[in-house]
Amino acid sequence: MSRVLIISFILFPFLGLLFGLPSPIRLDEVLMNTVFYVISLAVINVWLGLGTAWWLIFTESRWRTLVEWLVFIPLFIPVMASMFGMYIVLANVGLVGTYAGVLLVLLVSTLPYSIRLAYNAMYVIGRPLLEQTMTLPPLPRFSMVLFPLLAATMRTIVLFSTVIVLGQFVLVQLIGAGLIPTVTTQLYQSYAGNDVSLALQNTWVLILLPVLLYIGLGGLFRAAVRIMKERLR
Amino acid sequence: MSRGSVGLSVIVLLLPLAGLAFLAGETASFEWTSLWRDAAWRASLAVTLYVTLVSTTISLLIGTWLARTVRIREAVWLSALLKLPMFVPHVAGAYLFLLLFSGGFPFYGLVEANERHHFVVILTYVWKEVPFVFLMMLGTYGQLNRGYLDMAKTLQLTRFEQFKVAEWPFLLKPLLDSFWILVAFISFAYEVPALLGVTFPELLGVLAYERLTTGLFLNANESYAVALVWTLLISVGAFVSYLVTAKRRRRIEKGVRR
Repeated sequence: MSRVLIISFILFPFLGLLFGLPSPIRLDEVLMNTVFYVISLAVINVWLGLGTAWWLIFTESRWRTLVEWLVFIPLFIPVMASMFGMYIVLANVGLVGTYAGVLLVLLVSTLPYSIRLAYNAMYVIGRPLLEQTMTLPPLPRFSMVLFPLLAATMRTIVLFSTVIVLGQFVLVQLIGAGLIPTVTTQLYQSYAGNDVSLALQNTWVLILLPVLLYIGLGGLFRAAVRIMKERLR
Repeated sequence: MSRGSVGLSVIVLLLPLAGLAFLAGETASFEWTSLWRDAAWRASLAVTLYVTLVSTTISLLIGTWLARTVRIREAVWLSALLKLPMFVPHVAGAYLFLLLFSGGFPFYGLVEANERHHFVVILTYVWKEVPFVFLMMLGTYGQLNRGYLDMAKTLQLTRFEQFKVAEWPFLLKPLLDSFWILVAFISFAYEVPALLGVTFPELLGVLAYERLTTGLFLNANESYAVALVWTLLISVGAFVSYLVTAKRRRRIEKGVRR
């Protein structure tokens, strides 16, 4: 009985997707902007997340505690509150209304999660195993050992950052000064304008992007690891 | 390679703190009592506390319970199922709930979107946050030493007492972490309550954003002040709760000093 309840609780919101015909998906500026932000933030988050976590695992620097705090604290600050402040900062340096400004603020809201995910994964793998890879030169170290070990984590980081990025309306609207349309900002406009089929199309895109990215990366990573194994044989 | 990325990360992570400092500078001459005199802010505070605490508490309870069930009964299907909401951004989830609860079919009349009690806002948050809490607690339950539970059973403690001595102390830290992350996230956001809420009383995030962006930024300082005060309140709350539980948490992490 409780099984049925849980399943229907999780699944029933997806019924909303069937409430009408979505307008056809077009490759316009809105979708291009969104895909651009999703992909660039996925890459930056994986790179900075793994790099910072690696440093945190190995460092003996006295700054370690400070960096740990810096990773921890942003989780407890409401994104919108710190963003109001960053708006003042970015307005002073002329980054409001630019692609770079929005990219930077989106990175601020995703990076703490990525570092945490990467750190937890490396902590579970354990320092001794990671230390052994230090005998290899950097490139084979990454491609032959770290990549297969961390592929699942990289996929999770991409999923988390993508879903957070796609969920931001205020951030893109305010820092982008309304000049940078994404699927998320379009959803609010089409909702306010009572354009149900467009809003529904936006919703489909917002859900399909993370799903496709997750499945695609899964296949890609599996294939890469298989090729690596065959080469080692 | 890692040193360069740490440098960049530190700069990025310092930005929110710099932002808060700028908020403080901007509101230095702000008349704080005017916030309290404004009925809209007072009503907003009350409804924000209500929505935040109710959705956070329900999410924590259900998420922990599900993690416990998965570990005890090894229900793999459940962890696969709970991944689904994680693919849905908050905005998309909110719009789906809006379609379901305002269109008529099949819940019409029972619970509706855009009403004073914010039931659908809470429902949306619970749907989105339960998987998050579940993941946080699943790790904890995975590391839990079953020996304590067996010991409690051997001593013939009641089921409640078994939970209290063999599970609860270990849940404290991840529950506190999840609680404050969710409170910070839910209490000052625009996306979900803007779609599913009402025009009065509005949640703090919605009211702050609307005051900020209407009327040529004339009311900007008001929104900045609210953002700053709210962040400080959450920080103080988190700090106090970690301080109060510090002794017990340390005992769990490092063992009793002999």
